[in-house]
Amino acid sequence: MPSLTNNHTLRTRRLTASAMFAALALIFSYIEAILPINVGVPGVKLGLANLIIIIALYELDTRYAFFINLVRICLAGLMFTGVMAMLYSLTGGMISLLVMVFLKKTDRFSMIGVSMAGGVAHNFGQLLIASFVVSNIKMFLYFPILVFTGIASGIGIGIVAYVIDRRLPRMLFR
Amino acid sequence: MFNVIKKADILLLIALLAVGFLFSWLSIRGNVTGTYVEAKVNGKVYGRYSLSVNRTVTVRQNGHFNKFIIKNGTAQMEEADCKNQICVHHKPISRVNESIVCLPNRVSLEIVNGNGSKEGGKYDAIAH
Repeated sequence: MPSLTNNHTLRTRRLTASAMFAALALIFSYIEAILPINVGVPGVKLGLANLIIIIALYELDTRYAFFINLVRICLAGLMFTGVMAMLYSLTGGMISLLVMVFLKKTDRFSMIGVSMAGGVAHNFGQLLIASFVVSNIKMFLYFPILVFTGIASGIGIGIVAYVIDRRLPRMLFR
Repeated sequence: MFNVIKKADILLLIALLAVGFLFSWLSIRGNVTGTYVEAKVNGKVYGRYSLSVNRTVTVRQNGHFNKFIIKNGTAQMEEADCKNQICVHHKPISRVNESIVCLPNRVSLEIVNGNGSKEGGKYDAIAH
């Protein structure tokens, strides 16, 4: 039976956790911005920040995950990557979140499956906006590679998210 | 720890891999060496250059530049004033439909085949 004070404590806890998550996600974005992985194909990256988004999605809820992601993308865009890259991140991030929310709602997938789908969806979203920006549908030649790298990084991030999530103190969120 | 993986995860993985392989197969199918490289700015053709003539071309637009070289039937971005330099690190391209895209400058290079295209195969790109 949550009383008024309990409710307030809960909301404060969740707000604090969200702020912490947003800051952490921003740091991950920074790490990725200064450590570019160059494999000759644009858009390939680890997606470290997705670690945070997945944990937020499971431990807080969709709304929190959405705003943490939004804050992270906007700040990272203004601070490290530039406004155009922010546009790509925003499209990729939102499509990815949409897919992850949907898969999580079905309750048939583990965190790893959700993360994998999110990784692929993120790459798809970025490719979509990139081919729109250069008005060149040929950009989709990168699609197969981005599917494979999305799967790989998604699984990796999903496993790490699962391991971390089990070790996080529950009192952070409730 | 691997008992967390559910059946739906495996199915999803197989489905995604299938999509990846399908698209790879589709893109490898048209795997022929091209005759021209087409430079585009904002999706509009800037110029078309024969791959059989070794040369250096600089695409200038809106105060930005992308310098690419054509050498031994391949095209490669040599220098650009874009921020991320992804296009410069891209491997040389030579097969039809391969492309190098410089997103910050909105410039793309694309390998095309001269046959049946509007500019035809007779004209030398140097006249441009």
